[in-house]
Amino acid sequence: MSLASRELPSVAATMAPPRSPADTPAGAISGPSWLNNLRAMLAKELLLEWRNLSRLGSVALFGAVTLVLFSFVAPPQAGARRMATAGFLVLALLLSSTLSLSESFRKETHHRALTGLLLVPVAPSAIFIAKAFANFFQLVLLAPVLIPVALVLFSVDLTATSGVSYPLLQLLAVWALASAGLAAPGTLYAAMTSDLRGRDVVLPLLFFPLVVPVLLAAVKATALVLSGDAMGQLGSWNLLLLIFAVVHGTLGTVLFGYAVEES
Amino acid sequence: MPDGVIVDGWASVIAAYSVTTVGLIIYAASLWQRRRRLERKQS
Amino acid sequence: MRGKFQWEHAVLLLALVLLTVGTYIGLAVAPPERHMGDVQRIMYVHVPTAWIAMLSLTVAFVAAIGSLWSGKHKWDAAVVGSTETGVVLTGLLLSQGMIWARATWGVWWDWDVRLTTSLVMFILFAGVLALRASVDSAERRASWSAVAIIVAYADVPLVYFCVRWWRSLHQVQSTPETVDAAMMLPLRINAFGMLFLATWFIVRRARLELAQRQVEETTLPERRSVEEVQHA
Repeated sequence: MSLASRELPSVAATMAPPRSPADTPAGAISGPSWLNNLRAMLAKELLLEWRNLSRLGSVALFGAVTLVLFSFVAPPQAGARRMATAGFLVLALLLSSTLSLSESFRKETHHRALTGLLLVPVAPSAIFIAKAFANFFQLVLLAPVLIPVALVLFSVDLTATSGVSYPLLQLLAVWALASAGLAAPGTLYAAMTSDLRGRDVVLPLLFFPLVVPVLLAAVKATALVLSGDAMGQLGSWNLLLLIFAVVHGTLGTVLFGYAVEES
Repeated sequence: MPDGVIVDGWASVIAAYSVTTVGLIIYAASLWQRRRRLERKQS
Repeated sequence: MRGKFQWEHAVLLLALVLLTVGTYIGLAVAPPERHMGDVQRIMYVHVPTAWIAMLSLTVAFVAAIGSLWSGKHKWDAAVVGSTETGVVLTGLLLSQGMIWARATWGVWWDWDVRLTTSLVMFILFAGVLALRASVDSAERRASWSAVAIIVAYADVPLVYFCVRWWRSLHQVQSTPETVDAAMMLPLRINAFGMLFLATWFIVRRARLELAQRQVEETTLPERRSVEEVQHA
């Protein structure tokens, strides 16, 4: 983490090098310069991710620990445990997401790197999309850790589920959609709360009620994958997750500029 | 609760109306108090 | 500001008269409902509260768009006034709903669609107020709370549909559908009374916000410089 944040000002400074003398200034909202902005921001985020893998590892560990705690308090009967798996799995994702989200802008407020980016200038919408994508990516990367841990702890046998073809793939699809639904509004709120006095309280306070639809839909969809989807309802829950992600992704792209502008 | 006419309905009705009234009065009082504090700061 | 007559107090007077009359008709004149008995009288305060709470939060949403669009203080004052009023009314709505649930279904809480959506709405908008309270810069407070209000408002239909699908196996709760004229009258009177009362709250809170901001701006210069030194 410290390495990345130290590197960031220099990364930001080399962010949008004019590709050719004829290049338009990078402030314009649309056109090739906006795409250049987006490409540069995505590259920056992925680089940060790469340097920050250990941080991601500790977030995954945190998620696994919450799953262990959940498995202690889950009822001992095998059937009841299986019923509770979906809820605990999604809760583990949600709790881990607040950690990675709150971190995602903290490194930008160090040395006022975000202000620097906006002064270059990089289009705020490009910053948001890249940031949201990075957060989404981090949450997706939690799946290979948290899903096996949950399956083992709650003794769920994926091969035994009825009526769902490729259950593991379906589970990953639900996970990815839920991650998108968490990353989209989470990125916007993380930006607003990153240098706040009580950010550790305010972010969850704003974020948790907002993502209630994600929680409900993801739990339902996961439960359907784990216990069999007799009535073919999985698609509509996935659609709901997708709609949520699209609505909040659009809102975030539009509103992010207002959220980060310097007054 | 069985179907049919509900007994002791008035207790609930009175509770609901009093909670509402008290809540609104508390909010009005808090507005008044905040204004007073501001006026004291101004003078 | 002091000594000058402010129009909203006339609205308050009207609101109090309407609410008194409406409540009197609802409690003393209107007949008890056939199945619910007297408990149904809670509806005369519950339904108006629900309507006006939704309306306040809608006003907050519109004001938030105006605030982002224009950046004017007036819009931000409208945002905080309508949000706070909406949160207070939603809180009262929840208490009434719990009393209603206890009386008719025998439990204090039921994961009914409207009750659950109201709860999520209450936490969402209360969260925005918490965000406001922890931002020092007035400009930031305005733009951030406007952004948060817009996002929260857009979330409400998603919550509603999600809870509805989630509870689809749950039995649909009975609500009195055949409402005769004697029941509509107090409902309407109270709705207008609540509307005027909410207007008074919103305007009072907005005026307070504008006055606070004025005080902040006149006393701020030395504090702002200290803050900037700390930042650098």
